[in-house]
Amino acid sequence: MLKFPSAALLLGVTLLGAGPVLAAGDAANGEIVFKKCAACHQVGPRAKNRVGPELNDLFGRTAGGLKGFRYSKAMVEAGAGGLAWDEASLDTYLESPRTTIKGNRMAFPGLRDAGDRADVIAYLARHSNQAAAAAEAKPTDAGVDPAATAATPTAAPAESSTPTHGVFQLGRSATAEEISAWDIDVRPDGVGLPEGRGTVADGEVLFTERCASCHGDFGEGIGRWPVLAGGQGTLTADRPEKTIGSYWPYLSTVYDYIRRAMPFGDSRSLGDDDVYAITAYLLYMNDVVTDDTFELSRDNFATVKLPNEANFIADDRTRESHYATKSEPCMSDCKPAAKITMRARVLDVTPEAGKDNEATTKVD
Amino acid sequence: MSEKAKTKMPEAGTARETSRRRFLTGSLAAAGAGVATGMAAARPAAAAGESVITEVQDWNRYLGEGVVSQPYGTPSQYEANVVRRDVEWLTASRQSSVSFTPLHELDGIITPNGLCFERHHGGIAEIEPWQHRLMLHGLVDTPLVFTMQDLMRFPRENHVYFLECAANSGMEWRGAQLNGCQYTHGMVHCVAYTGVKLKHLLAEAGLKTAAKWLLVEGADAAAMTRSIPLEKALDDCLVAFKMNGEALRPEQGYPLRLVVPGWEGNMWIKWLRRIEVGDQPWQQREETSKYTDLLANGKARRFTWTMDVKSVITSPSPQAPIRHGRGKAVISGLAWSGNGRIKRVDVSIDGGRNWTTARLDGPSLTKALHRFYLDVDWDGAELLLQSRAIDEAGFVQPTKNELRAARGENSIYHNNGIQTWYVKADGTVENVEVS
Repeated sequence: MLKFPSAALLLGVTLLGAGPVLAAGDAANGEIVFKKCAACHQVGPRAKNRVGPELNDLFGRTAGGLKGFRYSKAMVEAGAGGLAWDEASLDTYLESPRTTIKGNRMAFPGLRDAGDRADVIAYLARHSNQAAAAAEAKPTDAGVDPAATAATPTAAPAESSTPTHGVFQLGRSATAEEISAWDIDVRPDGVGLPEGRGTVADGEVLFTERCASCHGDFGEGIGRWPVLAGGQGTLTADRPEKTIGSYWPYLSTVYDYIRRAMPFGDSRSLGDDDVYAITAYLLYMNDVVTDDTFELSRDNFATVKLPNEANFIADDRTRESHYATKSEPCMSDCKPAAKITMRARVLDVTPEAGKDNEATTKVD
Repeated sequence: MSEKAKTKMPEAGTARETSRRRFLTGSLAAAGAGVATGMAAARPAAAAGESVITEVQDWNRYLGEGVVSQPYGTPSQYEANVVRRDVEWLTASRQSSVSFTPLHELDGIITPNGLCFERHHGGIAEIEPWQHRLMLHGLVDTPLVFTMQDLMRFPRENHVYFLECAANSGMEWRGAQLNGCQYTHGMVHCVAYTGVKLKHLLAEAGLKTAAKWLLVEGADAAAMTRSIPLEKALDDCLVAFKMNGEALRPEQGYPLRLVVPGWEGNMWIKWLRRIEVGDQPWQQREETSKYTDLLANGKARRFTWTMDVKSVITSPSPQAPIRHGRGKAVISGLAWSGNGRIKRVDVSIDGGRNWTTARLDGPSLTKALHRFYLDVDWDGAELLLQSRAIDEAGFVQPTKNELRAARGENSIYHNNGIQTWYVKADGTVENVEVS
């Protein structure tokens, strides 16, 4: 059965009830309004399906009916339920696409201004042969059987649509909403940072609640969980302590990593403001920031530099002396008699008691 | 035994070219007389004979299990020792941890699927394949989403590649630590991948001219990300869904992983779900905080992508002692290089003073494991076994001392130094360092 009968009925009622109402909008202004749509839709002689279907000859078209475009199930069902596009149905839909046809994939919040809607509808009418006809729509696909449409499996829309992108025409366009759901990375130049802000004080509260059980109240690391603070000046020591303040080159990495992977076991549970606050507190714990009223936000993010940024170099292993010469290695009498200088520290690798046999290198 | 028949093992430091060479090539027919071994089992007493032969055994008498007693077959119960292992105290949690391939038990170059080492940062993601999606977006003409079914419809290729963690042998920088090649060298495996060339997927979305880097991301709880230069992506990278003929194991990234031939394992994103095309590297945690190589002077190398030429003798080794006593013995091992094929492997029995070229056996495939053997005649003397690989680019595997001289002891990653095993007269073996 149709999943969204109420939506289809709503539009259907609007459809049947309305008398012929020619667009009173300003098509010239509508062309400007259409720029909001142009990220996904095209009109005109060279129009192609993109993220959204092309909108030539839109008037009179059954919703979800353009061959060659992979619609959402919701849109196809609305069309099967009798929805066709005209001035009235477009006006209703464009005000709030996501609520009038729930589950459709048009990632657009809507045109709140009635004048804008009228204008863009008038603009679309210019590209449509049937626009001047009465508002009463005729279903263009008389053969569409609602029962059959409802009974087909989820993949049904795919069978009739042929993507036009690329070499193999495989896959479908990603929607803006899908991309923003996954595209959470942050670059050192700040690209990707979300809106938001957080203070050192708020960060301390959050850190104590969400982070300290593994990382310690002062970022000192409990057991083998990573140390987050301290270690400045230890990189050339026998046992360096590599922390955010002593080693990490970029603050963006801190924001990015906490946002995607922390707390351990509950990833993606922190809000964007929370992550700013925790990052601010980490800066404070590492003495990169010393003002305890400091607030970190998208606006001031780029001003915070980590101390070790300059100390990373490109891979030059091939210039090491044992590689550089690439000559035939020695085969006989290569060195004085070999003597054992060290024997394995851990003879029984999986002992019952771990303490005595702990190796010197941590892996995390 | 006469003096003439005994195989004299050259003492370390003495030059005994002739007998040493004969030892190593196993051509001392005269030594055949002294063939007695430590195990008497094969020598029947008087007229009786071994009961396992003279008496009817159960397996010769009674029917065994029928077909499909195990729809998915498993090894013999007598191979129960051939398993992955971890070292629990190395990490805080098993979900962000590593297990090791039992190299000492395996032969050939292919690692069986259930024995491939694991390395996770957020545990194994359990993904229903029909719910898995691969998104491709950024500096492309058409951002795309693929289902697994979509990916199966692109042209496929098959390739055998090794995958080595950059931290393999990392515990050994400070000296001999763990007693077994499973632990010292076990973060490596080699399987046959079936997948789609990444360049097909990128062409499907259409790369914009500004495109220079990819960000690749996994769907697991760690949402692991790495930056990959576009040149490598368009070269030999694969988006793979099969390993050794069957679907990827969950712990190897089911249903989809990235294959980055010859480059560090961390980049081979498991549970691959997103590829973003951009113009700069993203400098993610796994390419800044981790997987960067700290040098003695406090600087750190970043983007150390290529895995260097490396080899290790897998038998004899601490977990695979010599149990058969003196006489014919097989020294077996593996060699590999991110630069391509292995050209040659040399073996030393005296800690690197003298070398003999081993026999490479089986297929020699670019950026895959190679198997080598040296067939010897062991006279029971102590040995300091080493192997040294040379790849087709001419790089020679360095000693650990050479690496430490160049980098210090705190690099953690990319330890491809020569490994020494100390074989004692009783056949037991220990991990050692030598001068």
